[in-house]
Amino acid sequence: MLPSCLRTPSFPLQTLYTYPENWRAFKALIAAQYSGAKIKVLSTPPQFHFGQTNKTPEFLKKFPVGKVPAFEGDDGFCVFESNAIAHYVGNDELRGSTKEAAAQIIQWVSFADSDIVPPASTWVFPTLGIMHYNKQATEYAKEEVKRILGVLDSHLKTRTFLVGERVTLADITVVCTLLWLYKQVLEPSFRQPYDNVNRWFVTCINQPQFKAVLGEVKLCEKMAQFDAKKFAENQPKKDVPKKEKPVKEEKKQQQEKKEENKPEPEEELDECEQALASEPKSKDPFAHLPKSPFIMDEFKRKYSNEDTLTVALPYFWEHFDKEGWSIWYAEYRFPEELSQAFMSCNLITGMFQRLDKLRKNAFASVILFGTNNSSSISGVWVFRGQELAFPLSPDWQVDYESYAWRKLDATSEECKTLVKEYYLWDGEFAHVGKAFNQGKIFK
Amino acid sequence: MAAGPGLGAEELDLLEKSLGLTKGNKYGVQGERKTPVLQTNSGPSLTGLTTIATHLVKQAKKEQLLGSNAEEKAIVRQWLEYRVTQIDGQSNKDDIRIILKDLNLYLEDKVYVTGNNFTLADILMYYGLHSIIADLTVQEKEKYLNVSRWFNHIQHYPGVRQHLSNIVFIKNRLYTNVH
Ligand SMILES: N[C@@H](CCC(=O)N[C@@H](CS)C(=O)NCC(=O)O)C(=O)O
Repeated sequence: MLPSCLRTPSFPLQTLYTYPENWRAFKALIAAQYSGAKIKVLSTPPQFHFGQTNKTPEFLKKFPVGKVPAFEGDDGFCVFESNAIAHYVGNDELRGSTKEAAAQIIQWVSFADSDIVPPASTWVFPTLGIMHYNKQATEYAKEEVKRILGVLDSHLKTRTFLVGERVTLADITVVCTLLWLYKQVLEPSFRQPYDNVNRWFVTCINQPQFKAVLGEVKLCEKMAQFDAKKFAENQPKKDVPKKEKPVKEEKKQQQEKKEENKPEPEEELDECEQALASEPKSKDPFAHLPKSPFIMDEFKRKYSNEDTLTVALPYFWEHFDKEGWSIWYAEYRFPEELSQAFMSCNLITGMFQRLDKLRKNAFASVILFGTNNSSSISGVWVFRGQELAFPLSPDWQVDYESYAWRKLDATSEECKTLVKEYYLWDGEFAHVGKAFNQGKIFK
Repeated sequence: MAAGPGLGAEELDLLEKSLGLTKGNKYGVQGERKTPVLQTNSGPSLTGLTTIATHLVKQAKKEQLLGSNAEEKAIVRQWLEYRVTQIDGQSNKDDIRIILKDLNLYLEDKVYVTGNNFTLADILMYYGLHSIIADLTVQEKEKYLNVSRWFNHIQHYPGVRQHLSNIVFIKNRLYTNVH
């Protein structure tokens, strides 16, 4: 017999690309535990650097969407989408051995993606500090989670596993989708009414095949709340003065939600954000600009806390750097559509929200003039650089295109007057011809 | 509803097969309660269902079926004892009702008798209850929902049921008011 080092090593040549601790990758890895498929996981640099490797041409050639998890077989077979990967690396029993079972498995897998992922993300991500907290959206998500647990509970009353009498991809998928909920927020009193779901969940995570991937799963003891500190740490782009921001923001958002009178649809944010946040930031779209002596945050502090006319405005003109920054006048292009004043306000706050990522590099005062059925919206914007930042993100296009933008000459009298009147929310507003109704500040 | 004579020594044949043992031992019976006896080649004879069953599990090298930690081992033993002392030979309707009620409560938060893992306790409880469950009406099966769910799961566990009748359970509840 050959010494072991001389025998042909049986390296698994199948590869799963992911970032570490990705619950979507868990689905495939648990399925592989059941089928015995050997998979090599590449999740850390230098082999795989999330956010970089998956954007390279080689990667995109194999996986055009550029997302992970992504799977490459030893025969060169490539497949992305976590559910498809789990299906591929699993076995017949996991996939369902009859047509009916297979259909029911797809049913639960799809249900997990469409019904569980959105509210689970809305509720859990803020507790991990990777998404902003919105009270109403979270409350709505909690109700959704209750509804889902109720559906699962009555199904599992008479059943051991979701489909048939053995673990299938349905159980693997739904368990992994519920994993963060059970770890972060489903405290004992919240989950207590769903005993059948709890029994099933605990049994699944204790199967050796689940344990091998998930390790010991500790169920939530106390519902985690929004982690503002972690959130701030994960958002290096934002540095609006800390003391007043959270309160005001939240109030503003709540108020807006009330007006809309419906819960906000779940944002398309996912835990990739977390992985990205832990990456060194290299994506600042303004990074190429030379340093500017104008400290926007300092001005914002003055504007928020001191008298505008006697302190903030003089500070602004004293420090403004017209090389590093530009001032713009923007006017809403469809004033005839502005029938109700409160709708117009939503329009403005909605825009501010979409532009959230620009806060560090912009300031604006936007004003609604006139009354119902006869109003207009216009504002003065200060942006980092000499170009408008909007083309940088598809999210920003909506608002960009709804406004007519005109760059102002920072040294002109017109600019001085507009800045003064818009910052003060007071003055003649000679170019408008309608009375000031209300204003909003982007900062 | 009568539990009947139970499976007797036949149960050990079933167990052997479900454990993948092919040799096929010969069993004798002893005394009024027809306690099974196994004469081993090497040593003394083994008496009693639990003793023999435990021996067979070891022979099949499936020790995990006896429990994988001290606590689980104790729970397995406890339920094997329950099976032999409480379920076997039980024919009194009221007593059977109490057994089912207790078991139903116990299984509410469990998939297997020990909780998360399939063990010998599931196999022998299943064999021991087969004739009792076979006699239940649809409504009774629904009343003992957790027992039914567990029983159905075990009868589908590969290799366990063999030639025993497959008992049908309706998964969509008909009598939702019965608790
Ligand atoms: N539906 C996909 C979602 C995959 C996905 O969103 N992947 C994220 C990580 S959580 C990603 O790779 N994002 C990289 C990017 O969008 O550039 C699946 O289940 O596989």
